[in-house]
Amino acid sequence: MPWKDFYTTSDEIGMRDDAVSWPSGQHMALGLTVNLNPAGAGKGITAKDLAYPTWHYGLSEGLDRFLDLFKELNIKATFAAPAVIVESYRDIIDRILDDGHEIAAQGLYGEDPSLLAAGQEAEHMDRATAILTNAIGAAPKGWFALSRPDDRAATGCATDDTIALLRARGYSYFGNGLADDAPYYWVSDVAKAETLLALPYYYHFDDTFFLMFPREGTGLERPQALLNNWRAEFRAQYRRGRYFNMCVSPARSGWGHRFENLAAILRDAMAHPGVWAATGSEIADHWHKAHTAEQALKLAPSIWQDYEDSLS
Amino acid sequence: MTSPDPTASAQDPFLSLVETARFQRGRRIPIPEFAYPEGVKIAVNFTLDFDAMLLRRLLNEPWGQKAKGEFGGRVGVWRIMEMFDAEDVKVTLFTPGRICELYPQALKDAVANGHELADHMWEHEVYADPVVEDAHLTRTLAALSAVQGKPITGTRSSHTPALLKSKGVVYNSFTSASDMPFYELDSNGQNPILQLPFHYALDDAMYFSFGWLDTPNDAQRVMDVDEVFEIWWSAFLQQYKQGGYVNFLLHPFVSGHAMRVDMIQRLIQRMKTLPGVWFPTCDELAQHILMHHPLAEAE
Repeated sequence: MPWKDFYTTSDEIGMRDDAVSWPSGQHMALGLTVNLNPAGAGKGITAKDLAYPTWHYGLSEGLDRFLDLFKELNIKATFAAPAVIVESYRDIIDRILDDGHEIAAQGLYGEDPSLLAAGQEAEHMDRATAILTNAIGAAPKGWFALSRPDDRAATGCATDDTIALLRARGYSYFGNGLADDAPYYWVSDVAKAETLLALPYYYHFDDTFFLMFPREGTGLERPQALLNNWRAEFRAQYRRGRYFNMCVSPARSGWGHRFENLAAILRDAMAHPGVWAATGSEIADHWHKAHTAEQALKLAPSIWQDYEDSLS
Repeated sequence: MTSPDPTASAQDPFLSLVETARFQRGRRIPIPEFAYPEGVKIAVNFTLDFDAMLLRRLLNEPWGQKAKGEFGGRVGVWRIMEMFDAEDVKVTLFTPGRICELYPQALKDAVANGHELADHMWEHEVYADPVVEDAHLTRTLAALSAVQGKPITGTRSSHTPALLKSKGVVYNSFTSASDMPFYELDSNGQNPILQLPFHYALDDAMYFSFGWLDTPNDAQRVMDVDEVFEIWWSAFLQQYKQGGYVNFLLHPFVSGHAMRVDMIQRLIQRMKTLPGVWFPTCDELAQHILMHHPLAEAE
């Protein structure tokens, strides 16, 4: 193992609380991700997913409520959308953009790239980027790979190639950073010192896994556990002056009592002084300036020794 | 005509199962008249299985899964150790040997602050080949003791007890067969080793780690901290009332998340409101037992 190739994505010691800084007057950042992927499984969106009643609920009443609430609280959110969704609902995308939110990419079909044939990930990424660029009027800055309900992991998926491919296409950040709860640099090539900023994600704050998970009709409905997690993590991260990411879908959290929970946590959070509820690209822009990779990333040289009787 | 012995048959496993059941029962030797040091009513061991991403690597899982474990090494372990230090609670880090190469500074700091390092296998797996097993254990103990500056006395593993004893390991924490510490014989009825039992109900991954031990999606484990706080407080209180023992099994990649560090701190602070709660390292507890309650010579 030359560096820590099969083990780690970043440096040995994450940035400590007292080193994290936000724009003047801000105490912590709140990154709100809105998941617009209706796919149930890793192959991505199917015709059946697009006919699903609650997906339509989400695009109409759910989205209305989301946008009204975000406007009321002056929250700028990041909508993570597969290219096929962006192309299909251009009017909805325009409405989201008009409110000052960000549209970030989430695959061509909201698919798991590890299930694609070799070489196809790059092609899908190119097509998705072109479609989003056309719809937004500028190249998308962020890329998300959120888990679908039937995926075997809740972390989202990045292949060995994903980060380098995103970097080569000019992306500013990757939205599924699991190795920290503040933004951090994901190393795609140690020798060339190439990195991509990763924004934190953790499935304990994602409504996918709490509201009729894994699927409506048979899954468990646990809104209180989700709300408790949101509250406990917000409180802890606010005290630390760090970062808090929530991930919600209008098809799930746009409905009934669930929406009341979302409104409650966001109203409570925004009542705290210095909570910067910004889009992923705004947060990434700040981080790139305040904490450059050259300054923030401290890669210790590998002291790894290979042995015949062990994994490399 | 004699009636056939209902328990005997050359073909079926009945008798050998009875024999096995009786033997297994005899492997667990309770400690009579167990007593803690003067003034102690209960020992609470907080133990950290510092696996980080090693198991995910072993199973060749995707990057998201490995990064979830990486959190434990670069963020979680620092944060939870700071909390233990603030509460003056000493803990034991059951640490795979490979972690000495991945996160050496976190281990050095833990040792400098008075915490214990113990074995948790080389790459989070005990292999069947005895030559490999010996090499892995030897290498892990050497790597950990180099950081600790003194020999390693404990393990959490299925390593062969005779091998462990030959390397100076005097306790294991890898069973739930009793509330209290006890001596366990190996599969040949020999090589007794002190066990400091944990229980899966006191294991953070059971409540908080999605897909743990290959659980299916509809058996997902994403509980909230308030619910688990109540479970753990109840478990502690039940043992406290009978002068018992609890051993919490935490993972830095799980319990190092900010909301959980807060929850565990709240739990410790509530425990401290009762008299006689002792927070030793596993080694401190083991040395107390080995000195005051050695296994009777007759064994």
